Amino acid sequence: MQWNGEFLAFFLLSVMAIGGAVFMIHFTRVVHMVLALAFTFLSIAGIYVLLHAEFVAAVQVLIYTGAVSILMLFGIMLTKHRTSDHSDSRSRHQLLSFVGVAAFFGVIMWVIYHTPFSGGKAETAKYTVANLGEWVFKQYVIPFELTSVLLLAALVGAVILAKKERDA
Amino acid sequence: MEKVLLDYDWTVMAPEIIIAAAAALLSLADLFLRENTDRRFFSWFSLAAVIAAIFFTVSRFGQQPYEILGDTYRVDDFALAFKTAVLSGVGLVFLLSAWGVRQEEIRFRGEYDYLLLAAALGAMIMTSSADLITLFVGLELLSISSYILAGIHRERYASNEAAWKYVVQGGVASAFILYGMSFVYGLTGSTNLYTIQQRLVEAYQTGYDAFVLLSLFLMLLGFGFKIASAPFHMWVPDVYQGAPTPVTSFLAVVSKTAAFALVLRIVLVGYIFLYQMQIWQQVVEPVLLVLAGLSMVIGNTAALHQTDTKRLLAYSSVAHAGYLLVPLSTLGAVLFESTFYYLIAYLVMTMGAFTVAALLEREAGHGNISGFAGLSRRSPGTAAAMTVFLLSLAGIPVTAGFFGKFYILMNALSTQHFWIAGIMVGTTVISYYYYFGIIRQMYFRPPASKDRMRVPMVPALLLVIGILGTVGLGVVPEWAVHWIGDLQWMSALTPLNAGPPGP
Repeated sequence: MQWNGEFLAFFLLSVMAIGGAVFMIHFTRVVHMVLALAFTFLSIAGIYVLLHAEFVAAVQVLIYTGAVSILMLFGIMLTKHRTSDHSDSRSRHQLLSFVGVAAFFGVIMWVIYHTPFSGGKAETAKYTVANLGEWVFKQYVIPFELTSVLLLAALVGAVILAKKERDA
Repeated sequence: MEKVLLDYDWTVMAPEIIIAAAAALLSLADLFLRENTDRRFFSWFSLAAVIAAIFFTVSRFGQQPYEILGDTYRVDDFALAFKTAVLSGVGLVFLLSAWGVRQEEIRFRGEYDYLLLAAALGAMIMTSSADLITLFVGLELLSISSYILAGIHRERYASNEAAWKYVVQGGVASAFILYGMSFVYGLTGSTNLYTIQQRLVEAYQTGYDAFVLLSLFLMLLGFGFKIASAPFHMWVPDVYQGAPTPVTSFLAVVSKTAAFALVLRIVLVGYIFLYQMQIWQQVVEPVLLVLAGLSMVIGNTAALHQTDTKRLLAYSSVAHAGYLLVPLSTLGAVLFESTFYYLIAYLVMTMGAFTVAALLEREAGHGNISGFAGLSRRSPGTAAAMTVFLLSLAGIPVTAGFFGKFYILMNALSTQHFWIAGIMVGTTVISYYYYFGIIRQMYFRPPASKDRMRVPMVPALLLVIGILGTVGLGVVPEWAVHWIGDLQWMSALTPLNAGPPGP
């Protein structure tokens, strides 16, 4: 492990991503949660840039950091509800969740350190946006079309479940 | 030469195209109709579309397997058989909806039908693809449509709760599946299952064995949720109880069948090499058998003290997921045949049971088991039909459920798995208690009201179909077994062309 700019950037971005996630769980006000979440999304976009996946990074910023976060903020501001979340702390439940998550974390970490990926680097130059587009519309056109049905179903569902009744 | 979609014979996708077109047509028709027009004919239209799709699916049996665009779409006998089962289930659900879903109660009657069609489309794709991306999109299409359908009865609190629990837990399950798939992609660099099949072996032998097993277990975690097996069954009782009854029957019958098709295909195509390396027997099989055993024990014991019919059937569905997991874990000679036979048997008997549950729910206004009291005097036919379905669910001889269980048991015994067979028999005996509890209510309890219960045409038709299926499959199982045995199940495990098609 050598200390260069890339490692420093990775270190900072990971700390920001994890920190944002931890704060998101810890905050009690919903608006703060969304901001912490946006912070995580942005840091993840930075990690994508480090991996030479600039297109994915741009999409991440546009959709997650931009659209999703803003939409959540709008949702919070336009709906009536308690702005802070007072969860009654059930300590036994929390302990169980903690044990479960810690065990899962342990297993994943053990696997990752047990068999480290060898050093070979993949050629990233051929994964251009143009190629990506060609793959999506040629090879993967069937799942692509299905995704459009999926989005339509999700849209209809969102309208059904959120629509305000006229006579309710 | 790179091929595009139109270079292929895309008419093999006729069933999917019909369902998608029907959903699109209905969504447009819904826009142009007046708000208070009765939309019940939507269900009949959808039923017609489903029957057309079944026709095109069945007419392909016996032909060579075919794939489109690197197995992102694939028809083989495995796909055709499961697709026929899924479509038959969807057809019966539409029949039940045509009678049981009223516009006065569920105001989004039009949306209900085309969301059900969208869910059916997702289920069909899950049965006939060998590419992780397509399979996952199909799974999500089914799941998201199901979340909405569970919550479509907005005025009922239970329906809201069902949708909420389902979407949260379903989202977590999908995340686990996706996480496992991402490890698979990382190890193999491909989403095509047959390329994965080859490269996972290499990865396993070159020191990435822990990652291979991690990817499998992460996916199994999510799959356990989707097929409703214990210990991932927490959502099942609440969602089954809260969702409108036709939707519940859809979740029990169609979602389970499609999820089993997905699990069988991914696990068997991707990881079957573990069996030849003896790893399956040491690691994977015990885990799957524990899941199966837990599902049987938890499902059957928790069902003992349920007072709500749909909740009881939900726990029974968990138990049945356990029985169905046995062939997958032990493998064996009739793995596909016994799983598929049990799924069809489960389809007919569960649809019948839910039809009776829906009838009584409408009649009594609640879903409590006490609604069954004295049914034999109020409507002897319905009581007799329910008895047949319950006997079949319990696995009493000369019913479909008995032969299905027998088939699975034989497969387990022939592969020397005696303890799981023991658990299966033991929990089956436990299940008699609560199934017979309903029969006792119907025949030995006084009815709440003396007047006869009228059974309308459509549910009566469903009951007849259910009885014909349950008794028919039980009395002459050899017809179905012959037909199932003649299918080329193994064609699902091998690629069509020698070379895998690109990354």
